[in-house]
Amino acid sequence: MAPIGDGPDYDLVVIGGGSGGLAAAKEAASLGAKVAVLDYVTPTPKGTRWGLGGTCVNVGCIPKKLMHQAALLGDAIEDSQSYGWQFSNPENIKHDWGILRQAVQNHVKSVNWVTRVELRDKKVDYINGLGLFKDAHTVQTTTKQGERTITSKYFLIAVGGRPRYPNIPGATEYGITSDDVFSLEDSPGKTLVIGAGYIGLECAGFLRGLGYDATVMVRSVVLRGFDQQMAGLISAAMEERGVKFLRKCVPKSIEKAIDGKLLVKWTSENGQEFGDTFDTVLFAIGRRALTREMQVEKAGVQVAGDGEKIDAVNEQTNVPHIYAVGDVLYKKPELTPVAIHAGRLLARRLFGNSTVQMDYENVATTVFSPLEYGCVGISEEVALQRYGEDNVEIYHAYYKPTEFFIPQRSIAHCYIKVIAKRGGDQKVLGMHFIGPQAGEVIQGFAAAMKCNLTMNALMSTVGIHPTIAEEFTRINVTKRSGKDPNPASCCS
Amino acid sequence: MNTVVSQGVLRSLTKGSAGWNLARLSLTSVRHGSFKVQDDKDFLEKVENSKEPVIVDFFATWCGPCKALEPRLESIMAKRHGKITLAKVDIDSMGELAAKYEVSTIPALVVFRNGKVQERLTGLQDEDKLSLWVDKVLQTK
Repeated sequence: MAPIGDGPDYDLVVIGGGSGGLAAAKEAASLGAKVAVLDYVTPTPKGTRWGLGGTCVNVGCIPKKLMHQAALLGDAIEDSQSYGWQFSNPENIKHDWGILRQAVQNHVKSVNWVTRVELRDKKVDYINGLGLFKDAHTVQTTTKQGERTITSKYFLIAVGGRPRYPNIPGATEYGITSDDVFSLEDSPGKTLVIGAGYIGLECAGFLRGLGYDATVMVRSVVLRGFDQQMAGLISAAMEERGVKFLRKCVPKSIEKAIDGKLLVKWTSENGQEFGDTFDTVLFAIGRRALTREMQVEKAGVQVAGDGEKIDAVNEQTNVPHIYAVGDVLYKKPELTPVAIHAGRLLARRLFGNSTVQMDYENVATTVFSPLEYGCVGISEEVALQRYGEDNVEIYHAYYKPTEFFIPQRSIAHCYIKVIAKRGGDQKVLGMHFIGPQAGEVIQGFAAAMKCNLTMNALMSTVGIHPTIAEEFTRINVTKRSGKDPNPASCCS
Repeated sequence: MNTVVSQGVLRSLTKGSAGWNLARLSLTSVRHGSFKVQDDKDFLEKVENSKEPVIVDFFATWCGPCKALEPRLESIMAKRHGKITLAKVDIDSMGELAAKYEVSTIPALVVFRNGKVQERLTGLQDEDKLSLWVDKVLQTK
């Protein structure tokens, strides 16, 4: 496998050891290519760093899901008492942040190790250094062993993104982001989450669930890009659980008070100024692609209109032998399975004579808010805009999970919606679900939508009783009919 | 602290004849018992170059099964009266070593005899199985 003569060092050099880059690297290697992966984590302003595997494994999906689970278990402890479980001092049940953090970090480290072993087994060279383009055919990196340059036939940009900080006094000195929260030494305490995208909502949700005071500051809308009716229900469900929302507010400054607490000042829509103290301020105002850090311009790779992302066609940049996958891609879903799938298919096209392209449509996703939200396909807004009101049928229903009755858990926000074409056999365009285990519910329907699910097929599917997923098979009230979408009730 | 002779080994050694004990301790106290491998050089000297068999415990601080295995292993080693040495390798600080000996799943117990890998046992074991395995290792020439 050694390079012959003046050939490049590698067949493929992947810059970024996250979900997309690793998937491509492993697939390419198993197809016989000589592959190297460069991975390097620049520490956060707080000094947080982590191992191989990228955002999802270290500071994203994985630790997030575990902390969400920790919060759900707290709910279960509460519910269990109405099911007969007895605790000697139920009012004294409390959560230990340190134990959770350690358990989560241990799991993350175990995944780092498995990732490392996989690369080793597949004979992929792992280089723990920041990769910078020197020119279109050379990447430069500095590792513990010193500086080196690497040449390759193909390059894959898979550097992903990192959280943004706002340009306000005190932001980087005192604020943290999702890059820090999962490994915080001290418990977060009273927390202000700035930003109401899915990351902000999830963080505020699990922190509240673990017993902390949590506030979300919203600049404009909650869950931008998601169906806004569903977004409204999610934030209402969070408010009902005690998460506070500061709507139409923007932060102005963060200062450290004498007692060590953080004094945050912000302004509301009408310019009025407010302030409060918090133990932790977490920014979740968006993420930026790390293209600048790797000097893409030196390779001649153009960035998109936003100045950061890469607008690749079938993962290929404007420089034909340089590709990109994952969160660096312009206007593509920033989701781990999307990056993995795209990376794997790309490797097969490059080294396995495949012609299969990535399909970015109808990718399901889930927001792990306390009451989860899963969706696949398009939102009501997009459907109406794309097809017109007369050509779209919206089915919807509120429902009652059986398990919620005994502990008298709120059912106010358990809601589903199916968006379909109005004519013909009513092809399903979007499915939206709010309730427990939303991810588990929506995954199978995503497969159904890949098979061109129609309303007729959905309605002739026999449900599993009693489940919450079966609600989709029972759906029959359209918004157009004006009929009550609420289920029959015995008492309330 | 470079080497740790486990309390159990010390206790078992003092039960035997005094002269033998002193000789053993003065000559090989570093080698017998259990110790944490510090670096590649340490591993070369105490494991790869050892004249007697060494069981290497590849572990990680984040690994629950590794934590559970440790006291069982210590107990078994103590009962063997220092006839075999246990070397502990933290795979996070010595990844290259783990790679060299193809350790993937942990805990991994790897027996070295005359610098060569003789035997492997992967995963958490109950004390009985572990005990039989150590006996088998000791009996093999």
